[in-house]
Amino acid sequence: MARREVDDEKKSYSGVFLFAVGLLLIGSVWSVWDDAVSRRPWKKYQAEFSMIAYNKTLAEIQAEEERLAAEPVYQEALTTLESAQADIMGGEGGQRLATLQTALAAAEIRTSDAENALRVVRSEIEAAWYEYDHAIQLEHATKDEKAHLDALQAEAAEREKVFLAEQSERDRIENEINEINARVIEAQEMLRTMNQQKDFLEQRIDNYVMRPVPGLVLPAIPAITQVVVPEFDRSNFDTPLARVDRCQSCHVGIDKRGFEDQPNPHKTHPQYDVLMTNHPPELFGCTSCHNGQGVATSSVDIAHGYVQFWEHPLLLGPKMEANCLSCHSDMQTVATQNATVGQHIARGEKLFMQLGCTGCHLVEGYGEVKKIGPYLRRVAAKSDPAWMVEWVTNPQEFRPHTRMPHFFFTEDQGRAVTAYLMKASMEEGQAWLDAHAEPEGIDPNNAELVQKGARLVNSLGCRACHGFNAEQTATMVGQNKNHAPNLARVAEKTNARWLYHWIKNPRDYAPNTAMPDLRLSDEEAQAIVSYLLTLKTEIERPDMRSELEDPDLILEGEGLVRQYGCHGCHDIPGMEREARIGVELTSFGEKSLAELFFGNRTDVPHTWEDWTYEKVKAPRGYATERIAQLMPWFNLSDEDILAVRVFLKSQTGHHVPERFTAHGDWTDTIVKGQRLVQYYNCTGCHVIEGGGGDVRSLYLDNPALAPPILTGQGKKVQPEWFYGFLKQPIPIRPWLELRMPTFHFANDEASGLVDYFNALSKLEIPYNYFDPSRTAPDMVHAGEVLMSEDYFACFSCHQQGDQKPEGPPDGWAPDLGLAKERLNPEWIVEWIKDPQALMPGTKMPTFYPGGPDDIFAGDEDKQMVAMRDYIMLLGIDDPFASMNGNGSSGIAAATVQETSQDDTATLVEESAPSADDAREAENTEATETNM
Amino acid sequence: MRSMNIKTVLSLVVGASLSLASVALGYDAGAVDNGGSISGSITFAGDAPEAVPIEATKDAKVCAKTQKYDESLVVGGNKGIKNVVVSISNISGGKGFGEVMPLDQKECVYTPHIVLTPAGSELEILNNDGILHNIHTYSEANPAFNQAQPKFKKKLKKKFDQPEYVKVTCDAHSWMSGWIVVMDHPYYAVTDGEGKFSLGDVPAGEYEVKIWHETLGETMQKVTVEAGSDASLAVELSQS
Repeated sequence: MARREVDDEKKSYSGVFLFAVGLLLIGSVWSVWDDAVSRRPWKKYQAEFSMIAYNKTLAEIQAEEERLAAEPVYQEALTTLESAQADIMGGEGGQRLATLQTALAAAEIRTSDAENALRVVRSEIEAAWYEYDHAIQLEHATKDEKAHLDALQAEAAEREKVFLAEQSERDRIENEINEINARVIEAQEMLRTMNQQKDFLEQRIDNYVMRPVPGLVLPAIPAITQVVVPEFDRSNFDTPLARVDRCQSCHVGIDKRGFEDQPNPHKTHPQYDVLMTNHPPELFGCTSCHNGQGVATSSVDIAHGYVQFWEHPLLLGPKMEANCLSCHSDMQTVATQNATVGQHIARGEKLFMQLGCTGCHLVEGYGEVKKIGPYLRRVAAKSDPAWMVEWVTNPQEFRPHTRMPHFFFTEDQGRAVTAYLMKASMEEGQAWLDAHAEPEGIDPNNAELVQKGARLVNSLGCRACHGFNAEQTATMVGQNKNHAPNLARVAEKTNARWLYHWIKNPRDYAPNTAMPDLRLSDEEAQAIVSYLLTLKTEIERPDMRSELEDPDLILEGEGLVRQYGCHGCHDIPGMEREARIGVELTSFGEKSLAELFFGNRTDVPHTWEDWTYEKVKAPRGYATERIAQLMPWFNLSDEDILAVRVFLKSQTGHHVPERFTAHGDWTDTIVKGQRLVQYYNCTGCHVIEGGGGDVRSLYLDNPALAPPILTGQGKKVQPEWFYGFLKQPIPIRPWLELRMPTFHFANDEASGLVDYFNALSKLEIPYNYFDPSRTAPDMVHAGEVLMSEDYFACFSCHQQGDQKPEGPPDGWAPDLGLAKERLNPEWIVEWIKDPQALMPGTKMPTFYPGGPDDIFAGDEDKQMVAMRDYIMLLGIDDPFASMNGNGSSGIAAATVQETSQDDTATLVEESAPSADDAREAENTEATETNM
Repeated sequence: MRSMNIKTVLSLVVGASLSLASVALGYDAGAVDNGGSISGSITFAGDAPEAVPIEATKDAKVCAKTQKYDESLVVGGNKGIKNVVVSISNISGGKGFGEVMPLDQKECVYTPHIVLTPAGSELEILNNDGILHNIHTYSEANPAFNQAQPKFKKKLKKKFDQPEYVKVTCDAHSWMSGWIVVMDHPYYAVTDGEGKFSLGDVPAGEYEVKIWHETLGETMQKVTVEAGSDASLAVELSQS
């Protein structure tokens, strides 16, 4: 068979080409599809959202239409419009209107013609003026020019008349048309106003969809929404980097209200008012709070940062709060003022500071937190050694809610630590004992005395910090830690001598203690100590003093104290130069798994969260044979551990640039003051910014007996007075059994607290003196009358210096004589206006509205100001006298003095002590001499 | 035809709004035909305590004109307890409200010691003492207030919307104490000096009757009222 020759020229390649073309076509289609769709999953979300928003808006429009249909006013306007239009069209009005409109058009033309003619003459006058003026300048004859000018001026006057006539004719026709149309215009205007919402919605709907032909609704073309936050980050070489977030390409509804019930990603941001309004994404982006890979859009996981090597994946749940602290260093206050946000981070930070974590771990910004443990330099004078061995070995067995953590010491180790502490504090302890004699009058077997003591601890306010039996709780740190010791078994650990001198003056024993001085009388202290001595169980403890004097034991104890860092929380002799023993946690939140030591634990999932949870939950869990772990056990609830973890997560070591932080003029002052408030537990008694006031739970029946609320205190009191009061409190509310203790604040502490309250009240200028020149004698006099028995009878309850109200002191109210030094004048008016609003449950009744009609013709605001003025000048003999000496004009001064004499005369007449008369005479004389 | 339509519509509207109003109040007021009554006395178990005199420590000219006694527990003849509030607790319709007494502050004593006021109406509070009093209420269901009543303000009006036993004190005169009892129906009474009370025009039926005293607490009793007859109720209260 011969080989068949095929002519190449004739061979057909069409099949191959077809295949290739097909391949190319598929490839092209695929590449377009991939580029436009499959690599842009966000488009799907945006389209979904557009349709959701479209349908929602449609429903809103429908609802609005229904509302309008049911709105009688709207329907009336519609009917009015229709009937008005029909009236005009149907009746004579229609014809008249048509005639008028024709006439108007003609009149318009005539008016503008007349105006033009007038303008032509006026420009001719300009030219004639020039000619005339020029002739004068050249000293030519001016007769002709003058005549021409006069003729033109006469013509202009004529033409102006014509123009004005035409204009007024035009206006007349126009007015007549408007008159006929008046009802129509009015109705149209009304409808326009009522349609505003509907029009707005109809405009908005076009943002979401395209409607190319009727009946076809397509979602608007999706687009990347990108926020650039310039210079938010720093590169590894410390150059500024912008933060770029595209999160809103999928989360379109996040900054729009009304999508709260939608699922993610379409949903409105939760807590919109606080979190969105105060943190607009166009300024801060999204990842600054949430983390994640903001710039990525190719898949949900990639965008959320759940990919290998992305260091900051999206924070979920409570951990989301970790970033709050980067910008809000005053998180304690922020979380108190807004009860719905930042609760975990604030609690975690509080626990971290109040459980003594800072004693062992350095964290930037928390280095100055005070040591929280008791002062041990004189503990030999205080504690029973056998008790102390027990305590050191397992503190939570003696006091289940103590802040002291459990170090898992063996009993031998406990003995060693005690031996060292006793030895180290022996000298100072003995010196203290020598200076403080065994007290008298204490008898735990005297039932009456014990009862008196028990009553006193309840009434003086001790319960704000201490519980006196196992069930009583006072201020808590976290869920199950007592701020101050529960004293249920206090008599087992110490003795009458120490207790007595301690409660009489705590700082005499421990110079830095948070325990305040309640200014107890000897009798009160005796009763309280007698009561405290009954608080114990029947456990007998041996005398261990001699046993603990073993030098080897003491040496071992010293080693343990040093190794376990007891000095982190306690002031211990011999340990003054020791440093913190724990690792620094400043950037703990950034630690990678490689940096976390899991020991032999295989049951703990390898994540930062699990490692941290286990570390706090069971601190010795990662110990191996070769690597010891020292951290003690705090016995925290899981919720508290979570809060601590959120705090630790927040410690990244990075700094957000200043301009992004919420660091205002007040922030540092607030942070500093808040730490003092926390340390001294001011909030155990007082409500500050809506938080605290733990002791109030004992006064639910009668809140008037609870300690005063200090929210807004900065606006209320004058700073110098407040400073003096904090240094040395005086009783202000005679009905309170509770006693504001003396904390013996150092100067910087007292002024720090004053500044804190001023900062919370955002006072630009805290000093607010009352200047008599701001008022007038008639105001003061009116104030006096208003406060007199005939009107508000203020002094029925209020003290006024030495003048006390009738009845027992527990029915009295604060001394108004103090007001001029104590109170901010502006605050007094606010207080009189609505006392219950400023201090719910107060004994001060509400007087307004309801002021008398016969003073200032019932002008209540003026009445309140008048009382304020009177109060601020109480006790000043002749408040207006000083103004005379200050060089005001003679006549004015004379008038003022005359009235002020009248005013004082009234005062004298009513109170009538003759000494005042004499002083008054002297004052007048003195003033006259001055003049 | 047309006017009839309007009438029909009108009556429907009025009827609807009336029924709405009664739903809101939870109580239907109307005439009671052939109702029965509940009467009886509340007595004290144990020895009658002695009257505790009050020492008026302030404004003695007014407050100490006559000797006053503490009214928190007053036991009179036959050991009857004064100022016990007896009320039906489960009644949804019956007689209308009668005349409502004002609360007077007379010589620094709340008179009457317990004033009864219908929910949603305004209580008149009087001060003819010529001195400053203040009305400080301790309430939860109604907003608590502390309203001054200076001598020039002889009459005040305050509205209580919710049924509640509201304690009232005066911060200017610490011994003053009274109660405002707010009820959403008129079937309540305060016992007299001998512990006697009477509730009239009660529609026949079975009722839970609440006996409340400010210091002795409260207790419930079941009472069956038959048309036209009196159901007697005698309760003994004791100090717990």
